[in-house]
Amino acid sequence: MINLYNYKNDLDSDGIILSLSGPMSHEMVESIGRAIRFKIGEDGDKSIALKVFSIFVEQVENVINYSVERIPPESSMSFGIIVIGKKDGSFFISGGNKIETIKQEKLEYYLNKLALMDKDELKIYYKERRRADREGDSKGAGIGFIEMARKSSQPLEFSFQKIDDKHSFFTIKITI
Amino acid sequence: MDTLEIIATKSSPEINFNAQTNVLSIVGESYPENTAQFYEPVFEWLDIYLTELSEQQVTVNMELIYFNSSSSKALMDIFDILEEASDDGKNIVLNWIYDEENDAALEYGEEFAEDIETLTFNLVEK
Repeated sequence: MINLYNYKNDLDSDGIILSLSGPMSHEMVESIGRAIRFKIGEDGDKSIALKVFSIFVEQVENVINYSVERIPPESSMSFGIIVIGKKDGSFFISGGNKIETIKQEKLEYYLNKLALMDKDELKIYYKERRRADREGDSKGAGIGFIEMARKSSQPLEFSFQKIDDKHSFFTIKITI
Repeated sequence: MDTLEIIATKSSPEINFNAQTNVLSIVGESYPENTAQFYEPVFEWLDIYLTELSEQQVTVNMELIYFNSSSSKALMDIFDILEEASDDGKNIVLNWIYDEENDAALEYGEEFAEDIETLTFNLVEK
């Protein structure tokens, strides 16, 4: 890739504001995330900017905590992808990372459940989970997806793509 | 008892818990790299402070512009501890301070207020 002009034009025509593929870190949230937040805030609505930022934070944290693509293995450097864009007047934030296929069924069931809930049901469920004890393999509070579903103007959109016998690629998209 | 003082960073709030003035404040943004680790000294300090506290009035000022979902859980845990102390006869007032331009901060405050039964929880516009 010695000429990125076409690549950049493709991103621009798809309304992509930010596209990051590679190692994710907390520092990235503090630097790039904040820059995007202030940029969107300057261009318009501060509360929209804060919503986009909050989804970005939750998605980067998911990659950091749950991606199985780590170099070196077991290290805290996790790889994934995050894309922020604007289409037809709405912002979208998509995030993806490699997972173990054996974790897919449980995650898919959980996200399908959230996708079927209306805003009131999501609020009740959020409050219930916020007071619940942390689950065994959950590094966060386990309410990140509920938070995302609550902020999304559309039902949660997500997909799983098989990579090999043991791994799949998980993508989630939130529209603000 | 020593004042608990933690300086704000881009992703963690300023904490100032003063046992002499009985004013406890959390101000800023909260999305630390490790939420449990960040709030651990807060819970430890509160545990000792609330045990030693007699009838003085305690004012808790919370002014958070943004917090992530794991911080939301930590805040709920703090409110539960304060409510328990309040039920135990301690005199605690909590002020949730928000900027009128930040609708989300007000909404979050209202949602916490819905989950709190006996603790005095004021929503205060800045």
